[in-house]
Amino acid sequence: MSSRMKNWLLFAATVVIVLLLSILANSIINRKAESQFAYQPQVSINEHEPRNEIWGENFPRQYQSFMRTRDTSFVSFMNGSKMRDALEEDPNLVVLWAGYGFSKDYNQPRGHGYAVQDIYNTLRTGGPTGPGTGPMPSTCWTCKSPDVPRLMNEIGIKEFYTGKWADIGAEIVNPIGCADCHNPKTMSLQISRPALIEAFQSMGKDINKATHQEMRTLVCAQCHVEYYFNKNMPDKKGAQYLTFPWKDGTSVEAMEAYYDSMNFSDWTHSISKTPMLKAQHPGYELFMTGVHAARGVSCADCHMPYKAEGGQKFTDHHIRSPLDNVANSCQVCHRQEKEALIEDVYQRQKKIKKTQIALEKLLVRAHVEAGKAWELGATEAQMKPILQDIRHAQWRWDYSVASHGGSFHSPVEVSRIVSTATAIAQEARIKLARLLSELGFKGEVPFPDIETKEKAQRYVGLDMKKLEAEKETFKENIIPKWLEEAKKREDQMGVDKVSMK
Amino acid sequence: MSFLHKILPPKEWQPVVAVLMGAIVALGLYMVKAANVTSYLSDDPKACINCHVMTTEYITWQHSSHREVAHCNDCHVPHDSFLKKYAFKAKDGLYHATIYTLRAEPQAIIMHEAGQEVVQSNCIRCHKAQVTDAKSASWVSSHMHDRLDRTCWECHRETPHGRVKSLSAVGYHVEPLPIKEQQELFVPEWLEKATESKKSTP
Repeated sequence: MSSRMKNWLLFAATVVIVLLLSILANSIINRKAESQFAYQPQVSINEHEPRNEIWGENFPRQYQSFMRTRDTSFVSFMNGSKMRDALEEDPNLVVLWAGYGFSKDYNQPRGHGYAVQDIYNTLRTGGPTGPGTGPMPSTCWTCKSPDVPRLMNEIGIKEFYTGKWADIGAEIVNPIGCADCHNPKTMSLQISRPALIEAFQSMGKDINKATHQEMRTLVCAQCHVEYYFNKNMPDKKGAQYLTFPWKDGTSVEAMEAYYDSMNFSDWTHSISKTPMLKAQHPGYELFMTGVHAARGVSCADCHMPYKAEGGQKFTDHHIRSPLDNVANSCQVCHRQEKEALIEDVYQRQKKIKKTQIALEKLLVRAHVEAGKAWELGATEAQMKPILQDIRHAQWRWDYSVASHGGSFHSPVEVSRIVSTATAIAQEARIKLARLLSELGFKGEVPFPDIETKEKAQRYVGLDMKKLEAEKETFKENIIPKWLEEAKKREDQMGVDKVSMK
Repeated sequence: MSFLHKILPPKEWQPVVAVLMGAIVALGLYMVKAANVTSYLSDDPKACINCHVMTTEYITWQHSSHREVAHCNDCHVPHDSFLKKYAFKAKDGLYHATIYTLRAEPQAIIMHEAGQEVVQSNCIRCHKAQVTDAKSASWVSSHMHDRLDRTCWECHRETPHGRVKSLSAVGYHVEPLPIKEQQELFVPEWLEKATESKKSTP
């Protein structure tokens, strides 16, 4: 082989090697570029993105399971996901809440997916005819939608709590969802409602010190708690400021003392003239007194257990009764038969329910007897200690029933509350018996005929026809306007697509 | 004539050859950088998702309880000697790189026999206490055989990657932040500002 030949061969070999190397380099670069588009989010989620379906683009599994909160097929002994008319099931409630919105309409809660729809429909929000009308304050929206933190950030917290429910109807359209609990960038759990942060501050605690497991409960505690609207906040005049009465503790007695010390009442009872307290689902407070909380179990552990689908484990966002999902909730720890576990739950609930119903009857009697005493000319001074007892007894009763799942979450505490309430209710009735005889009344004040919801509502003087007609007018005239306005706003929001898909 | 003389080009060609060799080496260096080759010397699981076809394995592991105690290499490379570990890594890595470059990756990645042996021995390495029983070994004649004639994952089928592992099995996912960073996010900035006043009255 001549040296020239050799050189040509060398040249050719070098060409081949360098060519192969370049192809390899090119392939590496290509596949790196490809990686930029594999497993990427579809959209970028902005800080206050209220639209659940936009989050759903990136997290289809969580979103699809969240959508199933609209399923209403499950019914348990106490609740379930079906719409159940609580007043029909237990007409005593109508009398207990006489003079207050809850006697008009009160249903067992449905899934989060219905939050906005159900607040439209309930007779408690009445039939506003425009801004500034209707019975309820804007604060009622606070727990209904991820539009709330968006709007609070836009107009200010105090401003959000100021005005009527109808004033911001057009602003709130997405049901409870992603932005209520998640940081849009990292998907970490986060608090979006000021009331819980302020409640922690009032107890001298810092919510940022919570553990991740506690956060799996605290995001629920933003709403599933006892609250009241404070109208006398210094420097917040005019606002109905959402507040949790936790400053001196979260027990039923501590909150009662808190309300007493500020002379707070939610409404005045229309029969007994008692300055009443309405307990609103102290779910978190009662759960914390139970054995599951003591063992470090969080809300999400049972109400949103892990689920595997297509090779990925994720949290089931179909938030519901664990009794609808015993295998993934209870049976992770309790290795008993499903039927036995459900029986355990029902047994606690049924026993407590019995004592609650008995207590309700006493309270109804107390209200009616107090009404009779007023009729016979009792004085304010004579009635004061009696009304105080009625107030306390019913507050405790309400605390025990309004906390959904309370008689399972913490059966001993709920029983204890019911028994203290029963004692106080009887105390009130003994005082009433004395007073009635003093006023010359002999015998028994008859238990009212309140066998059905209709009878009970007539008895407390509600004009249901009028209320329903107002609601219909509102649904026909106002809601379409709200939805139209909301659609206009959301159409302008746009969507930030991430990739070129 | 020494060997060196044989391969050295004639004097007048040496500069040219030096330049060409330099070009080839530089191209090689560039590739080392682009392919992030040094990351493969580490034990960081992120090195395994330099190629996106491993994302499914990464995410399924990340959602498993093994996340807390074992990284990819704890199970997938041998640990009986340093040399063996890197030899296996190199062999496996080159094989993966080849298949990936040829775009020949399967829709669902499964272990070959060599890999299975390594994983099985690593199961035993950590779970020795659960799989040995002196009492049984002393009087159950088939005890040894019963323990060793099958792989752990013939029964523990979900551990740790689950049973569904195709390239399209998982979608986009966000890695959990370290706890410390998460805690800074419990209250978003706008709300932190709005609720700053440590109110003494409720």
